[in-house]
Amino acid sequence: MAFVLTFLIRRLAQGVVIVLLVTFLIFTLLRVIPGDPVRIMLGPATTQAVVEARAQELGLRDSIPEQFVRYIAKAVQGDFGESYFIGETGIALTAQNVVGGKGQDTATEQREAKMTRAGVLKVIADGLPYTLMLAGMGLLFTLLMAVPLGIAAGLNQEKWQDRLAFFIGSVFISLPNFWLALVLILLITARAGLLPSIGYKGFGYVILPAIVLAVELAPIIIRGLSMSIAQALQAGYVSGGIVRGLPWRQIIVRHVLRNSSIPMLNLFGVQIGGLLLGGVFVTEFVFDYPGVGRSTVQAVLQRDFPVIQGVAILAASILVLANIMVDLASTFIDRRLKF
Amino acid sequence: MTKTTRRNFLKGTAAAGTIAAFGGQAPFFKKALGQGKKSVVWGQTEPFTSSWDPSSHTILAQIYFDYDVFGQLIRTPMSQAQPDEIVYEMATSQNVVEDGWLEYTLRKDITFHRGQPFTAHDVKATFEYASNPERPSGTWYPGQAEVQVVDDYTCRVRGEGGSYPGSLFWFLAGFLPILSKDDIETKAIDEFPNGSGSYKFISRDGPTTILNANPDYVLGSPEIEEVVYQFVPDASTRLVSLISGELDIIERVEPEQYETLLEENVTTSRTVSTENKYLHFRCYEPPFDDVRLRHAAAHAIDRDLILELMGPAGHPTVGQLSSAKFGYTDTIPNSPEYNPERCQELLAEAGYPGGDGLPPIEYLTSQGFYPKTKEYGEVITALLQEQGFPVEFTVMEVASWIERVFVRDETAPQLADTGWMTGSPEPNLVLRPMWHSDGLILTNCGSDTVDAAIEKQQTITDVDARRASIQNELMPALADHLPSFGLFTSVLIHAHHPAIEGIYFLPNGPVDKVNATLKS
Repeated sequence: MAFVLTFLIRRLAQGVVIVLLVTFLIFTLLRVIPGDPVRIMLGPATTQAVVEARAQELGLRDSIPEQFVRYIAKAVQGDFGESYFIGETGIALTAQNVVGGKGQDTATEQREAKMTRAGVLKVIADGLPYTLMLAGMGLLFTLLMAVPLGIAAGLNQEKWQDRLAFFIGSVFISLPNFWLALVLILLITARAGLLPSIGYKGFGYVILPAIVLAVELAPIIIRGLSMSIAQALQAGYVSGGIVRGLPWRQIIVRHVLRNSSIPMLNLFGVQIGGLLLGGVFVTEFVFDYPGVGRSTVQAVLQRDFPVIQGVAILAASILVLANIMVDLASTFIDRRLKF
Repeated sequence: MTKTTRRNFLKGTAAAGTIAAFGGQAPFFKKALGQGKKSVVWGQTEPFTSSWDPSSHTILAQIYFDYDVFGQLIRTPMSQAQPDEIVYEMATSQNVVEDGWLEYTLRKDITFHRGQPFTAHDVKATFEYASNPERPSGTWYPGQAEVQVVDDYTCRVRGEGGSYPGSLFWFLAGFLPILSKDDIETKAIDEFPNGSGSYKFISRDGPTTILNANPDYVLGSPEIEEVVYQFVPDASTRLVSLISGELDIIERVEPEQYETLLEENVTTSRTVSTENKYLHFRCYEPPFDDVRLRHAAAHAIDRDLILELMGPAGHPTVGQLSSAKFGYTDTIPNSPEYNPERCQELLAEAGYPGGDGLPPIEYLTSQGFYPKTKEYGEVITALLQEQGFPVEFTVMEVASWIERVFVRDETAPQLADTGWMTGSPEPNLVLRPMWHSDGLILTNCGSDTVDAAIEKQQTITDVDARRASIQNELMPALADHLPSFGLFTSVLIHAHHPAIEGIYFLPNGPVDKVNATLKS
């Protein structure tokens, strides 16, 4: 227990430093690369004087360290700023027409949309459930495809199962995700009318994007799993188990799969985390899926600094936490490991 | 009992797939059109801003929205047959009167969507607010406007203190959404788009914005009851969404997509736009501060090649204005044409025979907004290089490109590609920002002749005399000084569900749905 606590405190402290560094890097890069958000916000025809006035108002002409300190000071209080572009439709009540409502049977109010600039946390919170659903489905499809293929390939090296897994992995990894997405939309949605795919109006809208994610992720799991099982089969405990007369199934399930799961966990933590984040962004954009990824791609194109910074902090935090969890889980599986 | 063999299994799954593909509707599907309500879904290409105030932006996508929601004194359909046609909406007449005033007579039966009656005080508040040079929209108008309220339904407009004649609003009033005075004063316009146009704002939820038909619209209530603006940023996604029925109208169809769509069950439309595409010269720095080199470059460019490449998205142009603009002429005798021999003569005259001695020239274009910029940019680069111009071609994504094009200093590229889409036949919307010394874009040839010709036509109150001044003085002056070379006029390609009839695509992008119907 003491180890777990020390481990968590040490790794979380390191994580905070990493997240801060990533934030500073993103913050600086955004302000150094070409592309003025104010010009995009006001439109191309706006005069330079008006652009400058608005930029001053937003504090974008202060020095980068000055802006960063101001940003972090607010961020630690939970204020990640407001999007430059995304409007938040709140509800204002005005006494005009009758609408029924919970506990307001005789209310004389009209609900009317009222727009202000959306807070970054709200933008992320609105998109995150959709992104998590897509990522979850993507991972599920990935495991459904990759685990049987990877195990079969690992247990049958140089046989047809291994060659089939290699072939499928090679094909999948060669398919660009945006291309596959468009082909699936055209064939499955537009031509066959089997599944919807643009935007989100129900669970059916998750299936095609999740398949695209799974196709992108599966080759890595297939390859990683087959390699680590093949390596585990060479270990002394396998021949020892055979000599001791243990059933083959027991050797595989209890020993080989358990030992080969450690590299798989690391793969999940590092590669899959990164790939999933990148893949989700592109997939959401092409499918017009209303998650954090689509908002982020749009934010990058429009130079919506507050949203990009907020997502960068979120992404860095997720990766840091995922790695901590993976390392912690690994130590539980193999007590010899110390991180 | 039938035995399940591999062959039977394959047969069965193939049959099931075919039935699913061509048979009934899949359970997850929710088609855009035909769900009981007369509703259409518009595939929006850019997001809206975080303010509903029409004077707070110059963003094209929101200009489309403003067209639906806000009423205007007049509308200018800008058809090819009659580019200067005026349709009266909130006004019933406009007349030039004494001392440079333009007098409007207003309708008495209009109310804003929130119920306030429309009067001349709203016109005064709107004109003075939107034309303020400190507002982003101020750029569209010739300077701070001054409005005199004669009575509740009559008012007069001109430049503040008579700085310019009110006649400059002759067409421009068709590009000025009218706001309620109260909304301007309380800043409520930021939060709610309270117009008097054909559609009323209902809600905005993320990328989806919903409008409902305004039954009290002064030119008649639209038959299409609901318009949904759905922001779909990717062009390919918009296309397949139209084919699958999840969107009903899409814009900015790429030329290659147009060919594909001709084979689909959708209706396509091509509209010659108000936008010309230009090759701009950075005129205030070498080497293109020498007008001979600007002409040499223009003579090196074969516009027919570019038009061939653009296919359905391009339309020939002669000078600087699109044919949808007031003052357009296709007769500009001194407008440069493709002539490699003349190009070489001019290069030699300027001291750079065959291009020898010219410094490296950066030609900047964007990718992701206008169609085929990279492709025709490569053609222009090759044509210029063929004549000896040491051109280096740079392609940037829109946000980076836009920052470099809208400057007038040494960081601007020597050559740049832009278009300029404006929502009125008024030529000043193009002339001033592009070619006047106080303009916006990287050109600035610093020519007193060009400045004087632009300013002169602004002061002419008679419509025919102004047209003649633009055609006979300004256009030749621009062709002489050549701060920019007009490459072609953009053609807007839209596609929509075949059940939609009667929509009118304006040459600057909005879609007029007032007379549209939905066939069952």
